[in-house]
Amino acid sequence: MFRHTPFRYATLALLAALAVLYTLNAEYFGLELVAEIAVLAILVLALDMVAGFGGMVSLCHGALMGIGAYAYALLTTAGGLTAPVGMLGAIAITAAFAWVIGAICSRSHGIYFIMATLAMGQMAYSYVFEAPIFGGDDGLSGISRLDLSLIGLDLNDGRSFAFFCLVMLGLAYGFSALVLSSGLGRSLSGVMHSEQRMRALGACVWRVKADMFGVSGGIAGLAGVLAAQHVMFVSPGLLAWTVSGEALVVVILGGLGTLVGPLVGAVAFIMLKHEISDMTSYWHLVVGLILIAVVMSGANGIFGWIESQVERWRPRRAAMTDEEIRKREVLSDA
Amino acid sequence: MTRINKTSKFAIKGALAALALGLSAQGALAEKVKVGLLLPYSGVYAALGNDIQAGFELGLETFGKEYDFVIANEDTEVKPPQGLAKARKLILQYKVDVMAGIVSSGVLGAVRDLVDGAKVPLIVANAGNDDATGAKCSPYITRMSFSNAQVNRPMGKWLAEQGVKKVFTLAPDYAAGRQMIDAFTASFTAAGGEIVGQEYTPFRKTQDFGPYLAKAKASGAEAVFVFYAGGEAISFVKQYDSFGLKKDIPLYGSGFLTSSLYVNAEGPAAEGVITSLHYVPTLDNPENKAFVEAFKAKTGRLPSEFSAHGYDAARALVEALNTGARGREGIANALRSVSFTGPRGETSIDPATGNIVQPIYVYETVAGENGLTQKVLASLPVEADPANGCAMPAPK
Amino acid sequence: MTPALLTAGPLALDASFWVLQGLNALQLSMLLFLLSVGLTVIFGLMHFVNLAHGSLYAMGAYVAASAAGLMGYWAGVLLAPLAVAAFGVLLYWGLIRRMRRSGPMAQVLVTFGLIFVMLDLTRIVWGDLALAAPMPELLSGRLTILGLEYPIYRLVIIVLGGLIYGGLYWVLSRTQIGAMIRAGVDNDAMASCLGINVEQLFFLVFCVGCALAGLAGAVAAPLLSVTPEMGLSILIPTLIVIVIGGLGSLKGAIAGSLIFGFVQTFGAVLAPQLASVLIYALLAAVLVIKPVGLFPARG
Repeated sequence: MFRHTPFRYATLALLAALAVLYTLNAEYFGLELVAEIAVLAILVLALDMVAGFGGMVSLCHGALMGIGAYAYALLTTAGGLTAPVGMLGAIAITAAFAWVIGAICSRSHGIYFIMATLAMGQMAYSYVFEAPIFGGDDGLSGISRLDLSLIGLDLNDGRSFAFFCLVMLGLAYGFSALVLSSGLGRSLSGVMHSEQRMRALGACVWRVKADMFGVSGGIAGLAGVLAAQHVMFVSPGLLAWTVSGEALVVVILGGLGTLVGPLVGAVAFIMLKHEISDMTSYWHLVVGLILIAVVMSGANGIFGWIESQVERWRPRRAAMTDEEIRKREVLSDA
Repeated sequence: MTRINKTSKFAIKGALAALALGLSAQGALAEKVKVGLLLPYSGVYAALGNDIQAGFELGLETFGKEYDFVIANEDTEVKPPQGLAKARKLILQYKVDVMAGIVSSGVLGAVRDLVDGAKVPLIVANAGNDDATGAKCSPYITRMSFSNAQVNRPMGKWLAEQGVKKVFTLAPDYAAGRQMIDAFTASFTAAGGEIVGQEYTPFRKTQDFGPYLAKAKASGAEAVFVFYAGGEAISFVKQYDSFGLKKDIPLYGSGFLTSSLYVNAEGPAAEGVITSLHYVPTLDNPENKAFVEAFKAKTGRLPSEFSAHGYDAARALVEALNTGARGREGIANALRSVSFTGPRGETSIDPATGNIVQPIYVYETVAGENGLTQKVLASLPVEADPANGCAMPAPK
Repeated sequence: MTPALLTAGPLALDASFWVLQGLNALQLSMLLFLLSVGLTVIFGLMHFVNLAHGSLYAMGAYVAASAAGLMGYWAGVLLAPLAVAAFGVLLYWGLIRRMRRSGPMAQVLVTFGLIFVMLDLTRIVWGDLALAAPMPELLSGRLTILGLEYPIYRLVIIVLGGLIYGGLYWVLSRTQIGAMIRAGVDNDAMASCLGINVEQLFFLVFCVGCALAGLAGAVAAPLLSVTPEMGLSILIPTLIVIVIGGLGSLKGAIAGSLIFGFVQTFGAVLAPQLASVLIYALLAAVLVIKPVGLFPARG
């Protein structure tokens, strides 16, 4: 179950302060990075909600993000809706898609769940790639950003847009934390521990899973909307399974089931990728080696590792930390 | 020429700092021109990116000796969002005078509005999307490579003139595949030909072309016309040959099918395949001979059409500078009326669309002394693409 | 303009057309079977999905293509499985043995990282350009059976797939080592209580799985293009095969391969617009009806 510890609050505060400071001082490309990190961070938040707290390791979150991006693009260009309505509409559409996917896949577990979500994602990808209204692989352009001139902000300015993305990330984080500590979040934790027990308690297991998947999809949809506004262009590549795979890597790098960890993972991943791809075109090699090293170290990602070090220094509150509980859960979920 | 190398980040900063301070190692005579190269160095098109870059560098070395070029390379990874982010970096942070490159049409689509809005000249060195010099054209975008329709349109007429009347077409199911086949189909049917079957295969997901080949065989076609590129082209050509179709139903296609870049991976299966393209390394003209020699000396391999795109893109930039044009606006304007005789023959930019106007060559892949080589069968007349909804003010 | 073939409909095509397509489907099935059988048995025994299996296949293709260039096709076909199995030994000692105690998720991620690493290693060693993999003279012709001409090489793949299936079936059902493997798949804790060295078994199966992936790569090389991305692009079809079939069982691997091959081939013929979506829809349908695939090793 999700809990905010003082250490997590401290990390969040530190991340927020760094983000604001960096955004205030960054050059153009730095601002691009901030927006890119924020979009990825929102996506991995969504993924961590279902993977880290519900054992639903999804390989369709990239596709969900893509659906959000395309929905926003179509609603605001061909649909003629205004940006705020388009954003809400896109999020709702993505949440609906995600709910259906969650409901359909709710009976599968482990690798079968991964594959079932992969199949769903790939179907969406193939459809978008080939259907003419989505512009095929040439994508759709002419997407505009949200107009915030009423409050004196021009989002076409890189710095304003970076801040806007950060605010959205903050909202998404708050919302995820809220949902995870609500009744739904608690039920989901229960389902991850033991579906049978939850059934015996009278919970409708598939509904719990589908509802959480829907919420997570809505957040992935927000990531998609921001990605569309950031690039002002959408292409089918957003939906590819490798995007979902990368998101999963980020969640693991950061720390599965910690919600804060994936944020750290997103920052680390984008920074690393850009630093390394500046130096060599073989950046896959370096990222792959780092991933292997992190996983093999046995720690729960970067944040999980730091957290466990910090926990070690603190007097133990309970017999078992969240971390240890989670590890057992994952082991038993084979 | 100063090169901002990918392998050294510090060199970039150093070079830019030197630039900002106005310190020029080469003295006041050489003029600094900042060029951003947007190419894929990783991902499926990495080989194309490297070939274009080699051609581009050679072009600058050959024609642009009197200028001091500072080149910044950025990897697009063939991902549109990545390409756009890197384009912004080049324009806003490095403040380049001109950008060149772009292999995939998706990336071009993503950067199009940025380039147009920021008024930075972009020399496209591959991406063939018809719209880029059609409905989505821009006075800041000039294309020194080809358009999908341009390469295939003349082939339809030519094939009909050879007496081939019934054709089956195949291509991957994506925008470029459809544009290439549509252009061929239009001119082929206009010249009296008939399309007896048309299939699009899932893009980069087709391992086995067998099902489609059996369909082509059963269609009663006299010939098959296809567009495939890269890995798919290799699989396709090999499988076409292994079914024994080549002798009964000759294989024609868009020239990328048997590109000199990878034709040797196709092996004997590619022999006798006849395709159309805007450049092959065996073109018999003095400009091409010089290019091939210099390219071989530089890289140890033969140039491909992709290296030619890079080479000519560099040449176009130098020609634009030679008119005295400076700054983003000036270079963009001058690029629109560039014309020269290069390895591909008479090459010029159509001021109405920004697209290249060039001859198209029909060539047959034949066995040569060192592997497969290209035998040019015909040089089809130079034709400018129709405007396709492109309306821009004429260059000044 | 309406293509004549499509308006005439598939009924206008004669029987030999359908036989030909059937052979195409079989050929694709067998190629996928070679690849998926190793993956699925490794999963059955070790409970982890080696996502880098596709990269091993790519490595097999590269080794075969390089060796063929130097010593001829047959050397390549022999060398590729050996080289990939040797690489498998390294992988086993370097990574997989140490990951035995971690959860399945961690193992999946390590192999995911391995995909990245191997992708760039192939680029560094062999470059970005596609490699040539010639077909041997002996197998490059066509055979005429019942008035139907079909490439010999494709027939060889079908026969090879059948032989490997037969061989594995025999080993698994008739030999002692097969019985031990089945016991390990069924319940590894119980098997080790009975004195079976599961760890050793495991190592053996892993190496055989790698060798089969290498063989699949070597066999596929002359048919397809040898590019750095080939491992990634074959991964998804292979995963679909083993998940449809049910993880861990030989029967599942062959059933999944046949379903994939036939759906893909006949989908391409009968419903080309749906060709790329069809197989995913089928996968989703199978998982909705039978959440653990058709023939899982453990019910």
